[in-house]
Amino acid sequence: MNHRRRLLQTSLALGAMQLFPRLSFAQAQRLVFATFTGSWEEAHKAVLVPAFRKANNNADITLDPMLSVDQIAKVTAARNNPPIDVMLHDPGPALTAIGQDLVDPFPVAQSKNYKDLIPEAQEPMGPAIFFQVVGLTYNPEKIKNPPTSWRDLWKPEYKGRVGITTLNSTLGTGWLVEVSKMYGGSEANVEPGFKAINELKPSLAAVAANPGSLAALFQQGQIDISPGNFNAVQILKARGVPVEFVSPKEGAIAFKTTIHVVKNSPNKVLAAALIESAMSPEVQTRLMQSPYLIVPTNTKVKMEGEIAKVLAKDHAEMKTRFVFQDWKKINEQRAQWIERFNRDIKV
Amino acid sequence: MSARPPVTVYPLRLAAPLAGFMALFFLLPMLMLVWVSGYADAGMTQWGSAASWAKMFDAFGLAVLGDTLWLGLQVTLLSLVLGYALAWTYLRLPSQFQTLVIFIVMMPLLTSVVVRTFAWIVILGRQGIVNSALMNLGWIDAPMKLLYTRTGLVVALANVQLPLMVLPLITALQRIDPNLADASASLGAGAWRTFRRVTVPLSLPGVVAGCLLTFAAAITAFISQSLIGGGQMLFMPMYLYQQASALSNYPFAAAIGLTFLVAVLVCVSAFNALGRLSRGYAAG
Repeated sequence: MNHRRRLLQTSLALGAMQLFPRLSFAQAQRLVFATFTGSWEEAHKAVLVPAFRKANNNADITLDPMLSVDQIAKVTAARNNPPIDVMLHDPGPALTAIGQDLVDPFPVAQSKNYKDLIPEAQEPMGPAIFFQVVGLTYNPEKIKNPPTSWRDLWKPEYKGRVGITTLNSTLGTGWLVEVSKMYGGSEANVEPGFKAINELKPSLAAVAANPGSLAALFQQGQIDISPGNFNAVQILKARGVPVEFVSPKEGAIAFKTTIHVVKNSPNKVLAAALIESAMSPEVQTRLMQSPYLIVPTNTKVKMEGEIAKVLAKDHAEMKTRFVFQDWKKINEQRAQWIERFNRDIKV
Repeated sequence: MSARPPVTVYPLRLAAPLAGFMALFFLLPMLMLVWVSGYADAGMTQWGSAASWAKMFDAFGLAVLGDTLWLGLQVTLLSLVLGYALAWTYLRLPSQFQTLVIFIVMMPLLTSVVVRTFAWIVILGRQGIVNSALMNLGWIDAPMKLLYTRTGLVVALANVQLPLMVLPLITALQRIDPNLADASASLGAGAWRTFRRVTVPLSLPGVVAGCLLTFAAAITAFISQSLIGGGQMLFMPMYLYQQASALSNYPFAAAIGLTFLVAVLVCVSAFNALGRLSRGYAAG
């Protein structure tokens, strides 16, 4: 009987290990990096992973791409034995992760590359390894005079052709703040922005539920002009969709994408090493080039190609042409804004 | 004399593994949701508050809930009208056409929901098939707004859910004895009266089953609702997603989820009660 029970236990355990391979590897030194899905994953797989492995004696690393919110949910669910070692976040979720005590500070003192980042990217709780840039997107076949300002969205000639997105996304919220600033508001006061969006209503051909679907709307000719993400536009352009990106004269919105060591990770040393690689000028230079076109944060990277042409030719110019927002302030009231948007924008 | 176990009673023990499974992976998470909804703040530090429930049942939350159920009803009614006509026609077709019709009806179910939804964007867009056809015919001068409208959403959802309506209807109509229609005619009833007094009552179980499936699928169709309806319409699934995903407000999201679940259960039970009534009606 005893013997049989032990056999049963062993086979159950073996079965469980088959079913949940993480169980057996929990103590192993395989680094798990939760990058973003889509083109970010491709870029990191092709450039960052090989560079990291080369610099770290072929260390084992797994990319586990998922959205910021999912990263936070997974780490929250297993704080003491997190399934992820390194997280990647937009500004809003980054503050949530820090606020909920899910990340450790990056060992700045030991870092070689940290001091070369532009000051805006130097965040001790998790440095920014690239910027996501939001400007105006338009269809050059339909709009002959390129727009120059956020104000152009309100032009009567674009009536019925303008697209925006809801505040659920970083893009939507950041854009509302920028519009508010244009009319005298700030990160703490978006009243003017809401007023302006209400005036924009007759022009709207689409309020996309997420920024991703804006892309399809350009392709279908449903919209001809909208706020949009620089990298999303590059992907569309590469597929032959007639779409162009311009920085508005008020400045393009730059979102910091930050990378964090997860608290209680058993792989802290390797996690810091991965972040080091992600900040290095070599990796950032390669990622800046075609086809990735990821905006670098390391000042040693010399801008070239599409980024130099459309965004900024060096980091000095970047500072004058980019707008950085205070997401700490934004996060304080974002819930109320989303609620207000729900009510105001309804048809 | 030992009592024999009664043959008509099934031992419940056989269902125990499934019951355990459901308890562990369905009931327990559900109870956890109830627990989570009791926190007062998004950071989940203070327990013991009805704040998220109060927020769910404020005027705006109720409007979103009502609107979601109303959307389900609209889609169900449209599917029923289209589906009944289709099922009726199907039974009168030669069998080689029947296979073709079933294939066409099943198509939406066999296509990925994202592909299907993007197809509707192509159809309904400013330069979509509908608008270009109408413009070429000279019926309209400027493209109409079809995408991101209520009508567009109802039509697209009805298309997607049509198989769920048609298949039970076909089964129900097939089971009706054709002699009954002849008998009705021989007793002097016209085609319309036969349809109204004989066919419809006898097909009611199929109608109820079809409506139930269509309704449940339509109100929970997150992807179609958000991509075809757009950001200017807010239904319960998107409301939940927004609170959980963009705001990490799990207590409120839990309250939304549970309310939606209960609302759907109430609707389903109402349909079921109707179904029982209709069986009595058909038999009597």
